[in-house]
Amino acid sequence: MNWNRKQGLTGYLFILPNMIGVILFFIIPALFSLGMMFTNYKYTSPDIKFTGLDNLTRLFKDPIFYQSLENTAIFLAAVPISIALAFFVALALNQNVYLKSMLRTMYFLPYITSGVAVSFVWMLLFQPSQGIINNVLRSIGIANPPGWLSTTDTSMFAIDIIWIWFLLGYNMIIYLAALQEVPQEMLEAARIDGASRWRTVVSVIFPLVSPSTFLLLITGLISSMKTFGMIQAVTQGGPGNSTTILSMYVYQNAFRYYEMGYASAISWVLFAIIFIITMIQWVGQKKWVHY
Amino acid sequence: MKPSSTALAPAAAAGSSRSKSRVSVGKLAMTLLMIAAGLLMILPFAWMISTSFKSPSEVFQYPVSWIPKAPSLQHHLKVWTGEDSFVRYYYNSLKIAVICTIGATFLAAFAAYGFARTQFKGRNQLFMLYLSMMMVPPQVLFVPKFILFDKIGIYNTHLALILPGLFSIFGVFLLRQFFMSIPNDITESAFIDGAGHFRIFFRLLVPLAKPAIATLAILDFSWMWNDYENALVFLLDRELYTVPLGMQNFILEFNVDYNGMMAATSASIVPMIVVFLLGQRYIIQGITGSAVKG
Repeated sequence: MNWNRKQGLTGYLFILPNMIGVILFFIIPALFSLGMMFTNYKYTSPDIKFTGLDNLTRLFKDPIFYQSLENTAIFLAAVPISIALAFFVALALNQNVYLKSMLRTMYFLPYITSGVAVSFVWMLLFQPSQGIINNVLRSIGIANPPGWLSTTDTSMFAIDIIWIWFLLGYNMIIYLAALQEVPQEMLEAARIDGASRWRTVVSVIFPLVSPSTFLLLITGLISSMKTFGMIQAVTQGGPGNSTTILSMYVYQNAFRYYEMGYASAISWVLFAIIFIITMIQWVGQKKWVHY
Repeated sequence: MKPSSTALAPAAAAGSSRSKSRVSVGKLAMTLLMIAAGLLMILPFAWMISTSFKSPSEVFQYPVSWIPKAPSLQHHLKVWTGEDSFVRYYYNSLKIAVICTIGATFLAAFAAYGFARTQFKGRNQLFMLYLSMMMVPPQVLFVPKFILFDKIGIYNTHLALILPGLFSIFGVFLLRQFFMSIPNDITESAFIDGAGHFRIFFRLLVPLAKPAIATLAILDFSWMWNDYENALVFLLDRELYTVPLGMQNFILEFNVDYNGMMAATSASIVPMIVVFLLGQRYIIQGITGSAVKG
């Protein structure tokens, strides 16, 4: 008994230093934010009032909120597209190429560089009148190439291209690891049964790597929900509000308009969406994934 | 693509030499295709580096002059010298990233050991609490942290980035997974020999977990180095800026100086590329390890 208690104390001792920080910089701020959501707190004015659900009703009438939801949805579309591309890259790199490790490095490189720095490069590549992308488009006969980041109806798609490019390497690395686990005998069996290569990919390989696909989808959606730095650096949410995604709208309300209470409310909507995605993961892992 | 692999199967079984050379042609074609697509992936980097050495009139020349006609260091000099020198931003970023990486890795290893190898009341509930905090987006924490830091006087100081950066929930998660994968009997026998938890931690598990710890350190360093959002929220004064913020500042200030912009982005990206090329093995291991098991 005595030994057990001592053992327990040691356990706490190991965790304590980390836990102090987690309580101070994660748990307490999170609780504080939860409370702030129900107030009209503005950084610029001293009086704070409890306003109940006012922030939420305001939110549901806020057209920019709806636009930011729509933008977020377009932004998240980059995740499955990038996963699909990465699957084919990984398939190719897994068996059919020379210079495997060099190629792997080439595809992975974008992921390791800061999204912010590299988005400045993309900004120039996307430059509408003289950028390299539109120059190439013009030279293959497209007279009026899109304005990319500079027009409201294309800006989100330009962001998507950057994001697909950025995530591709990460997705590929996960798929490469998963493909290593695919038993050679199964591929052999499919071949002997006369399955075409495409058939083998669709009916054997793809189901076998479905846990990775599921994982990439969920983690990709969640981490995309949590970032805005790359977009902030290039467009600051513009032109108009055409690239303001939900996480950025929190930032804008808090630090551009100092609407701390309102920003907190939006941030918890963001949390709710992440929470739902996580729950889908918990439930879906058992249902949809073939092990 | 290939018509069908059934035709290939008997050939492969009969004699390998012919089919081998046939396969190599396919393999070579695939390699070339993947290299072409791979070049597209690194094109932004190539363009960035090339532009940083060009003259202003060459920036948007088309067809692109990949090798500058008269390469010049002038733009890099502008980035590294003068009032808003990147030397200062580098110093700030390195200071923050190094302190946080060492601190966070160390504290995470401790906590991970506690969660993986000791028994105490409420351990699993506590771990669930940790996991649930991974769901909370940083945007939820910006406002309360801003107010808290303002009250205790560390807003607009490096401490606002360093203090929270010392505590990595992801790190605890990653290392706990690794510690759990080490067979129990290794520690059991040390226990029976009379070793305490601290001894087992430092003498046994930390040496065994070196690859996982290296992975965490490299990932953490790159996150801290690339962190833009926290710096944006918590830093105000220019002399406190980290590299991503300094770079943005440079770009806002000289927004038509495209060569300078590309020299500035090179200055912030190249170190990460070097770290990656050196630590590639650990980075890839860490990513696949944490993701596949998670």
